Amino acid sequence: MYLALRELRVARGRFVLVGAVIGLVAMLTTMLSGLANGLVDDGISGLRRLPMTHLAFQDGAAETFSRSMLNDADLAPWQHVKGVESSPLGVSFVNARTDQGKTVDVALFGVPAGSFLAPRPDAEAALEGKPGLVLSHEFEEEGIRVGDELTIVGVDERLPVLGFTYAGSYGHVDIAFTGLETWQQLLYGDNAKGRFSAIALKGDPDVVAAAAQRIDPTSGTEVVTKEAAYAGSPGYAGETQTMAMIRWFLLVISALIVGAFFVVWTMQRARQIALLKALGASRLYVAKDAVGQLSVVLLLATALGGLVAFGVGGLVEQTAVPFRLAAAPAFSALGLLVAAGLLGCLAGIRRVVSVDPAMSLRGAD
Amino acid sequence: MSIRLENVTVAVPDGADRRVLLDGIDLEVAPGETVAVTGASGSGKSTLVAVAGLLRAPDAGRVVIGGVDASALKDRGRVRLRRDRVGIVYQSPNLLPALTAREQVEIVAHIRGDLGRAARERAVELLTRVGLEDRLDARPAELSGGERQRVGIARALMNEPSVVLADEPTASLDPERGQAIIDLLVGEARRAGAATVVVTHDPEQAARADRRLHLRGGVFHADHAQSRT
Repeated sequence: MYLALRELRVARGRFVLVGAVIGLVAMLTTMLSGLANGLVDDGISGLRRLPMTHLAFQDGAAETFSRSMLNDADLAPWQHVKGVESSPLGVSFVNARTDQGKTVDVALFGVPAGSFLAPRPDAEAALEGKPGLVLSHEFEEEGIRVGDELTIVGVDERLPVLGFTYAGSYGHVDIAFTGLETWQQLLYGDNAKGRFSAIALKGDPDVVAAAAQRIDPTSGTEVVTKEAAYAGSPGYAGETQTMAMIRWFLLVISALIVGAFFVVWTMQRARQIALLKALGASRLYVAKDAVGQLSVVLLLATALGGLVAFGVGGLVEQTAVPFRLAAAPAFSALGLLVAAGLLGCLAGIRRVVSVDPAMSLRGAD
Repeated sequence: MSIRLENVTVAVPDGADRRVLLDGIDLEVAPGETVAVTGASGSGKSTLVAVAGLLRAPDAGRVVIGGVDASALKDRGRVRLRRDRVGIVYQSPNLLPALTAREQVEIVAHIRGDLGRAARERAVELLTRVGLEDRLDARPAELSGGERQRVGIARALMNEPSVVLADEPTASLDPERGQAIIDLLVGEARRAGAATVVVTHDPEQAARADRRLHLRGGVFHADHAQSRT
């Protein structure tokens, strides 16, 4: 890289344009990573925070709470499995009206008193008493306070706000916990018949899997891991796939940009490469010089773009946009970006190694 | 160490036909000897340099440098032979814009993989010998035409070559400076004991060589041979 590094130092203006484009792509990639994380959080953070390992849905419900309906008979076999905790879980979406007349969307999670799913001891205690709601902290931003009453739209049931907890959200809707009986009352009235959406399980994966093999066929349930259940969150699959597609497009664009620049740059300096070869440089020497030069640009621009994105991301995180930058996914996205750029370079490497050293004599004879 | 070309033929496509640039030529240059090759434009002078400098393989014939038959070597072997035994001075100085005069010469050692203290000192010594001791850190844009060509000469001598090939090295210089460059090149090459071939248009410059050959129609024609003994 004798020549490459000196060229970078002396003629850095030549690399500014491609560096700026790579930097912007890196910035966009990092921001997308934050947005993807934020959307995922917004979609399934409530589920992620529940202290369970698996969920049993009604067979054929495709991990979707609204399509699944189980009852106490389905729960019974799980309550006898040693080493596995089980709890019924009711999940539904409702609208609630505040005392000020404002309507809010609520992902209502029905949890029985004493369940291992209860988010915090104080919340658990609240759920054991009179019917009421323990809300996710995000509702505080709507001006809702402890002691307020929310009216569930449609059934006109008024429920007091018992407290707040870090419940998160599900399907981009903030969660409210209530007792399972209250949840059943709101959904089915007096005809609940012990129905709920799914069974939350907590235990060693091997033990749960073995029990599921035994129980599922007879009870008509389907056990999935908590992570697999994320797919049932409204919009989750579409959002993650869209984000993934945009990121892949960015990677391809990055590879094309770097590759195209590499080819044009190689053509411009073909006579220099010919001279190096005439001086006795091997193909490996000129290839290392050329790829090394662009690798430096690629790494610097990517690092700079990523750094700026982390700065901007910090500001975005303070807004209502679902955005969360995490180091690991952002670095892996940037690493992929560098790899794609290098692939673009390698696609044009044939032009470098095939430069005719006799071109160094051009202009004579 | 000498260079010997035996029955070398080079032809290039010319429409539907092939144009013969070198037609079975023979040439041998002894260590320390300088041979000037003259000829009209398009007579094959640069092709001669390309073949002798192992920049292109002849269609037929052999090129032997320091007893090594380059024609029998694979591509990698020819590259190494060129790197270790051949120095070329170009028509235009052909310097790398980003490098200083010192680095233009040092890069030869870097390509060989032995850019150490000794090589750095040798680069400075060579540049001093061609009169550029005060211009070591100047880049090509800061050098005059003559100075650039002097850097080119120092670079060609950096690998202690057996063979120095100069392809019209004074074409871009005025006659006075051109003469000085030729004198410097011939003197340094002779001092290094290299077999030297200088391609030139200028009869006066050709007269500085030990022998003079004229290239026409792809073959050497007898010219006024000179002896400088």
